[in-house]
Amino acid sequence: MSLRALWIISHEKGENASVRFSRRFATVEHRYKSLSGSSYVSVPEDRNFLQLLLTELGLSRSNKNFVAARDDCLYRPRSPAVELCLDGKKTLWPVLALSQGPLILACLPLVDIPSESRPPLASLLSVSQGLTLLAGLQAFLFSSGGKLDSEGLVARVAALPSLLLQICPLGTPLDIPLVGTPATPTGPTSAVNQKQPPWKTGLHRGRATVNVAVVETVRSMQFGDQSRQDLWDVYGTVTCKCEVEGVLPNVTVTLSLPHNGSPLQDILVHPCVTSLDLSILTASSLDNADGSAFSGPYKFPFSPPLEPFRLCSYTSQVPVPPILGSYQLKEEENSLRVNVSLKLHESVKNSFEFCEALLPFFNRNQMGNVDVKVSSGQVDVTKEKNRLIWALGQKFPKSREVTLEGKITFSGSSQGPSHPLCTGLTAYIELHLKVPDTTLSGCSVDQHSVQVYSSAKPKIITSRELQSKDYFIWNSTGPAPISSGQMMT
Amino acid sequence: MASEWRERIEAFCCSPSGFLCGSNSDSFLSELLRELRDDRLSYGLKVLLLVPLCEHPFLLCSSESAGEETALDLMSVFLQCPPRSQQFRCHLLVALTSVLICSSCAGSRSRASLDFLDLLLQVAQDTSDHHGDSSPLCLRNTAAECLREMEASCPGLLSQRLELLGGLRQQETSRLHQAYAGLQVLVLRNAVLHLTKESGAGAAQLKALLGGPSCADQDVFQMDANDPAVQASLVLGPMGRVPTLPTGPDCKELRSVLSSLLEESYLLSPLCQAALLHRLIEVVAMAPGIPPAIFRAQLLRLLGTNQVALLHVTLLMKCAFTDSLFSAEDEAFLLKRLLVLSQHPVLSASERLFYMDCILHFPENRPISCGDSDEALPVLLTPQLASILLPTVLNDSATLLARLHLQALVFLEDGEEEGGGGLAYIYDLLGALLHMVDRGGSRDLVVTFFRAAFLFLLYFHHVERYSARLSQQLCQLYLQHPLLAPHILNLADRTQDHLPESDWAVGLLQGLQRAITGAPGGQLTLPDLSCHLKVLSRAAEEGNISPCSTLRFLSAVFTSSLLCSGGNWCLGNGVLGVCRRVLLHPSLDSLFGPLADVLLHLACNYGDSDIQDHARLYFSLLTTLSREKLSAVLQGAAEGQVKKRALSCVMAESEGLTNALSVHQTDRAVLRLMEAGPGPLQEADADEDVGDGAVQRYRSQFSQTGFASLVPLRYRLTLMEPHQPLFEQLFSIRLHFRLTDHHYHPLPDASVPLLHRQRPPPELTLTLQPRRPHPTTIRVGAIFTAKDGLTWHSDMPDLHVAFQQTFLPLPVPSTWSRASRVAVFEALWEEAESEAGVWAVSLFCCQLGEAHLKALLQTHFLPFLLSDSSLEDGFRVLWFLPPRSHVLLKISREDDATLFKMATDDRQLLPHINDYLLEVTSTAAIRQLGSEPEHRS
Repeated sequence: MSLRALWIISHEKGENASVRFSRRFATVEHRYKSLSGSSYVSVPEDRNFLQLLLTELGLSRSNKNFVAARDDCLYRPRSPAVELCLDGKKTLWPVLALSQGPLILACLPLVDIPSESRPPLASLLSVSQGLTLLAGLQAFLFSSGGKLDSEGLVARVAALPSLLLQICPLGTPLDIPLVGTPATPTGPTSAVNQKQPPWKTGLHRGRATVNVAVVETVRSMQFGDQSRQDLWDVYGTVTCKCEVEGVLPNVTVTLSLPHNGSPLQDILVHPCVTSLDLSILTASSLDNADGSAFSGPYKFPFSPPLEPFRLCSYTSQVPVPPILGSYQLKEEENSLRVNVSLKLHESVKNSFEFCEALLPFFNRNQMGNVDVKVSSGQVDVTKEKNRLIWALGQKFPKSREVTLEGKITFSGSSQGPSHPLCTGLTAYIELHLKVPDTTLSGCSVDQHSVQVYSSAKPKIITSRELQSKDYFIWNSTGPAPISSGQMMT
Repeated sequence: MASEWRERIEAFCCSPSGFLCGSNSDSFLSELLRELRDDRLSYGLKVLLLVPLCEHPFLLCSSESAGEETALDLMSVFLQCPPRSQQFRCHLLVALTSVLICSSCAGSRSRASLDFLDLLLQVAQDTSDHHGDSSPLCLRNTAAECLREMEASCPGLLSQRLELLGGLRQQETSRLHQAYAGLQVLVLRNAVLHLTKESGAGAAQLKALLGGPSCADQDVFQMDANDPAVQASLVLGPMGRVPTLPTGPDCKELRSVLSSLLEESYLLSPLCQAALLHRLIEVVAMAPGIPPAIFRAQLLRLLGTNQVALLHVTLLMKCAFTDSLFSAEDEAFLLKRLLVLSQHPVLSASERLFYMDCILHFPENRPISCGDSDEALPVLLTPQLASILLPTVLNDSATLLARLHLQALVFLEDGEEEGGGGLAYIYDLLGALLHMVDRGGSRDLVVTFFRAAFLFLLYFHHVERYSARLSQQLCQLYLQHPLLAPHILNLADRTQDHLPESDWAVGLLQGLQRAITGAPGGQLTLPDLSCHLKVLSRAAEEGNISPCSTLRFLSAVFTSSLLCSGGNWCLGNGVLGVCRRVLLHPSLDSLFGPLADVLLHLACNYGDSDIQDHARLYFSLLTTLSREKLSAVLQGAAEGQVKKRALSCVMAESEGLTNALSVHQTDRAVLRLMEAGPGPLQEADADEDVGDGAVQRYRSQFSQTGFASLVPLRYRLTLMEPHQPLFEQLFSIRLHFRLTDHHYHPLPDASVPLLHRQRPPPELTLTLQPRRPHPTTIRVGAIFTAKDGLTWHSDMPDLHVAFQQTFLPLPVPSTWSRASRVAVFEALWEEAESEAGVWAVSLFCCQLGEAHLKALLQTHFLPFLLSDSSLEDGFRVLWFLPPRSHVLLKISREDDATLFKMATDDRQLLPHINDYLLEVTSTAAIRQLGSEPEHRS
């Protein structure tokens, strides 16, 4: 349940890599020595570790075509735990590595099962502990909105020693760093005899406010082809920010579905949720939903932290995608004839914050003459001349259907971007949309259903929103890259 | 100061072995401890100074006694440290824990470790300073963690305090209750484990342990911390045997402790909660009196969690208790849950991959296989359920491969190879990947495709219709992209290694040979051709593939084109490589003519003489040697003895090339420089009397630039113990010196042609050029060639140049008489006594007998001695310190004492002189002379 070492590495696409921070936990190493006996493998020094890890992750010597240590086709489960080959047939395992942008976070969990052969990853609790800690540190290092500026990184790396003193002083991770500005930490008042949970960093004083937001995301893959089934799915997350008095206040949020709504499935909840009803967990996207399934209301009693947090997430099977599209390209001499139609389903609210369709063209020259007509909205060509942006505005017309027709010549002088999938007539449209105050599943939080057990009347704010992600409509006249079956993740 | 320490600590952490190779770990440790006690240093810097002790106590305190002393030192620093510097105090506790555990002091219950334990318990219980400030909380939290770590490393250490710890946890309302819960449960687990090993222990002992009044007189448990079983996880699953404690159904006390911990487990961070549950699982597994159902109330919360650690511990719970806690419905639910989580859009990629791994090691209630590391599909996993994890080209490569692996197992189980959509789906995916590679995919994509292909073959190589098609498609792909040769050959090698019964790889190689030799040879580019040669060479290794067409191809390409006369050396080697494989081919007899033609053509016409020579050699081997001799000769050559490593041979075995051309780093120091004694004293002719102007003539010499500015130091270069056979003879040794300060001019590299263990070590003279006289340390590195023919780099131990090594005798022409030298001395001495501004005069006394003084002069001062004691106030000794400093000594005896009157024109030298005199007259130095001197300065 402990870690032997921890590293934070920065690199620029494999170049200029350096270990920005490392920590070895000597007492855990001591235990590992006695646990592993003769099969003990020591932790390499930073310089060696860096080299080995970059090779294993395929980041070193990027200009070389084939490097045996990096590109061997032998299948080893490489993720989330990789194995580093040290000198003389010894291997360092399991090294967990999370890579995001220019940072790699890695740790070496303790193997506390002495066995001749390598124990399965799933039998080592230290692995999930390590993953959790790394993800927490990653969120901490990237906490300025996913972007990483070098100064911010330096400051955060400099803060790591005192941070680790609190969350992992001796190699056993206790918690993950809090992201965002923590409320001024205050000790609990002596009158309180409730125990303070670690996620509660301070106490709120003043009027209670509870903010609950439901955001649903729809993904889709449409082919416009009889032989190929279109795919779509919906998942939702419920985010809360609760400013409520008390060390261990009780709040209950209830999600409800409209009559005949299909049940929320695959529900995952935040650890601050105190109890769960079995009926909430039973619906799974693996089962075919039938009418008899539990369809709410979904009650979540919890004791919130002060910071915003994701109370729960779910998936839902909705009968139709919000926008059904068709995309047809016809190759003519050095040009493409384009035909697009998009139809908004009648059940979806026709009031967008934005809705736009992107038509990228890969592996071709830049666009020359663009002669397209749209029934609604406005078309722009990007500066790089490789993409059309069709802004549909806030509303579809009354017919709920829009079209784009025309011809694009690719007579530009220079080559546009390349894409491994989109060659020939394999091409797609990507839809970006956001619809406020609606969800596809119909899931909602009623203001009155939010219960806060406190003296003063709390202020309750609820909202919902639908957005898209990976919403693709493939050209039906060309081969689509996936045959059938499952889509996305 | 601070920045220097920062640099040193950084250098240490970056490479501790390299750092300590250059300096002594004991002295580094004592420096650290000295600085930690220094009040002038900031606490921020002191925290940094603790890093080496926290992270590498093995290196700094390698023995128990060193650990004990260091710990006592650190504890005194802790006690003297003001309470406000909490961060530093916390780090100190961590450092103490690391030192005590890693030097085995804690394991042997040493004095310091027991004191430290008391200190920790005292800190943990100290709630007095509690003004809403988070700092004391931080200190107590660290103390609790240190206690937990001490208990984890020395199981049983705190068993007696179980009741106290339980009380601490229950009273605590701040976040600290979490740390105490972790501590309590670990101590409990270790204590119960100890009881299981005691014969005759049962319910009564357990009760006593949990807080009966009798526990006070119980012995502290002494479990062997080196017994891995004590520290290892006890969650072993139905096949493992957990030691149990026969308590009978009556263990109320234990049950109430467990219930109380479980009830509050919800108030812990997910990481602590998972660790707590893991320990509780172990305790319940050891105590059959407690039903696993005690966990039931927590299950729903755990099954619904979004935290990977919590779901993971639930799986471990299932592994430990199987159907005594999880019904068949629970099992089905959990499996579905894992499938869903393996592709849940809100989870991270690594979490999803981890869950996928958990599916392959699913803890079943009634497991069929008993191998603990084998991957096996859960019985309940049907292809239909698994279809949620079908891979697609839109997956990232790790996900794609993991899913492909899982599906392959599912289809194999299901007998899919008989026909069915699943396998076709996977083959289509492979086709799509291949198409993307064909269209010029990225390197990552290429690697992913070949890994996917290997996986497919591993499971479905026997499904002829797919494996044959894959082979065909790979050949087509190769013709389009010959640069993929290394990938394709790697795939062939791997399939051959892992599927020895399959001839798929041979089929592929044959297909490739056919494709290459059958293609129109018109527009072959040079890079393509060298790829082809690699493939043909590999194909020729297979006895079942006839090299006929290969030889036709070679002959066609090299006789009809300009390639031969172009004389590209690398290309020539490629051809020779193919020919050599053919020479070893079992069907060589039938190939004699065509091969001889190719070799002869190369020997006569190739535009590079090295290639010609080799071709001629192969030709003569072919035409004169029998088959057996030929293969013996060629195979011997292929093994690549160092002596035969001609460059062309290196090229043919290209993997050896990098090895031969790079500099290797030795893992520890191989060489060292040992101080050689001083050279022979120059007996001066000493007859020229300079008269009155001695000191003026002496002074005038300094107008020449570079006069007497060099200090020659003699060293012997020796091999370090223990001897490593590889490094018994070293050649072309080049030593590189790096200064660590600015008191000297940089030193040029030095060369030593040969070092042999059996021969006397070579001597070399380093000529230092001081800017000012000062002791210094010089870092040394060596590059040399070893017996294996490779070039090595090795760091060497630092050279420490002591103050006295910079002394030279009075630099006057060798012909000057002794009297003239004394005259210079006297003139300078007079100057010193009159001009106190430049000169400093001092006195050093010690008790030193006559005989000892003589011995001292003989051993240390002889080269600098100007006169004997005949002069009225004793011996005259003069040290000249380049570039232009002097130290003059008059040594005389008065009663029992020996007086060293000294004068120097560089007053900054005084402390060094004092140290030096102390050293040479010290007890240790004089011990052999028989009396103990007394110092007065």
